[in-house]
Amino acid sequence: MGDSVISTTGLGHAYGSVVALHSLDLEVPAGSIGLVGANGAGKSTLIRILLGILQPTVGDATVFELDTHKRQLQIRSRVGYMPETDCLPLDLSASEFLYHAATLAGLPTKAARQRSSDMLGLVGLQEERFRPIGGFSTGMKQRTKLAQAIVHDPDLVFLDEPTAGLDPEGREEMLDLITRLAGFGIDVLVSSHVLGDIERTCDWVVMLEGGKAIRSGPLASLVDHDVVSVEPAGRHADLEATLRQWGATVEHAGRRLLVRSADHDAFVLVRDALADLGIGVLRLGPHETTLEDVFLEGSGL
Amino acid sequence: MTEPTGAVYDLGYVPYDGPRTGRRGAIQATVRDGVQRVLGIRRRPRKKILPWVLIALAITPAIVFVGFAFLSSNFSPDVESPFASHADYFTLVGTVVFLFVALAAPELLITDRTEGVLSIYSSRPLRADDYIWARAGGLVLVMLVFLLIPHALMYLGFAGLSSSGFADSLIDDLDKIPKILAAAAGYIAAYAPPALLIAAFAKRKAIAAGIFLAGIPILSGIGGALIEATDVPGHRYGGLLALAEHPSHVRDWIFGRGTGRDLTPALAGFDPWVSLAVILGVAVVSLGIVVFRYRRLM
Repeated sequence: MGDSVISTTGLGHAYGSVVALHSLDLEVPAGSIGLVGANGAGKSTLIRILLGILQPTVGDATVFELDTHKRQLQIRSRVGYMPETDCLPLDLSASEFLYHAATLAGLPTKAARQRSSDMLGLVGLQEERFRPIGGFSTGMKQRTKLAQAIVHDPDLVFLDEPTAGLDPEGREEMLDLITRLAGFGIDVLVSSHVLGDIERTCDWVVMLEGGKAIRSGPLASLVDHDVVSVEPAGRHADLEATLRQWGATVEHAGRRLLVRSADHDAFVLVRDALADLGIGVLRLGPHETTLEDVFLEGSGL
Repeated sequence: MTEPTGAVYDLGYVPYDGPRTGRRGAIQATVRDGVQRVLGIRRRPRKKILPWVLIALAITPAIVFVGFAFLSSNFSPDVESPFASHADYFTLVGTVVFLFVALAAPELLITDRTEGVLSIYSSRPLRADDYIWARAGGLVLVMLVFLLIPHALMYLGFAGLSSSGFADSLIDDLDKIPKILAAAAGYIAAYAPPALLIAAFAKRKAIAAGIFLAGIPILSGIGGALIEATDVPGHRYGGLLALAEHPSHVRDWIFGRGTGRDLTPALAGFDPWVSLAVILGVAVVSLGIVVFRYRRLM
């Protein structure tokens, strides 16, 4: 893939005897990328390798076609990073910290002052910009962390568990902000174990499980919207047999049947089968395969 | 009806397409932040108290000395006097700098580690070595303020009071400038690296400051005790442990004063160049360990 933002080949990393990443081959295009996996799946390790903080034990990784090991300073000039852990100096005001973060990223002083003010306005902290960060709520700290990650107008920003510790309202605000980043021309890699957050914000998903990539592809191709869920009043086996005879794929989900068809409208097939067999129906409607379904299927759970 | 006289525009997100200073800018920003941090600039008032009290302690005697010299009708800068001696002033300012370094080094390194700010530095165009040298650079700059401003005040003040005229006095005393700079470098090299080494490992600022403030004098005390223990083989090498006294030994050498003024390394029979070698050796090893540790952290 010629226009990959992130590319890895046989990438692996081990902390002593503990293997965190195992033979990762990825080609990820520009856009909003979701990095999904349980805690300990290797998400943060992958981000730290992409930033050049960690060296891969085996394999290679590139960001913007720049080797993460040899050209990490060039990469860091073009990316932003919002760590999962605490990263804010508590005795400094948000305004001063953002100014420092901007100059650290290479912005001249005047531009850094302007951008820090703009970014605090963007994340909704304009009123609190002169308050010490130590007095901020968790939500305000998360927004400050996001602001420092984009204060230098990066081409790509890594967001590691951006909604961690947020209440529902704060989470919504954070997801809205992340969604807006694409409109600013900033590619985003969101690492999260909350699949709903990824579905809300991303158009490409990389799923990690035990340090291995179990899926990588466009969200639309992973999440199937063409499945019909039907709960017949009885004679499940007859209905299933008829649908299979007509070329449909049928799965069981409790008392419901999940029907999909490559050649026909699944809804029409189900309707005709029910009519032909004279079976009553208790529930009939579209079934959306969620990212959670895909993840559970991919991880063999 | 009032006519509209202005308009409000939502500029939204404005991309930045100006110049970027890269690694050089990141290093400069780290140095600047270090200077501000150790002086409490842009921090809460209580963070400013200790550094500025220490700066006042370092500078005020120089102002007082120049004032006394002004009031003293028979003052002559050519005569060795307690008011005029740059070498002696290092004894006073060296103690103040020792206290300052004990407080400043932990402030520079421990805060970034314990509050997680190091991960921000790791994501910027900055290597671990750059970070450490920039932090050390910030510390050195402020130490230079402590060490050089009082001497500059005395140098200029005494020149202004000289009977030979301001300009002539400045020229006559030009030879003092490299001596002052060299002695200041000796104090910086002796104190800053060990303080940074302790701060690179300690988890709390107070503990790091305590270890430095207690550890260096205790080492000197042990060194002093060892050189008097004549029945111990190689006892004179204990004099090398007197880390707090090596810069004074080197200073006396630089200013051409008789060495051995109750300084442990001199009492142990070591030449000043040995003290210089110890200072440089400790500095190189200390900074090497600090860099090695931060390469693993960043």
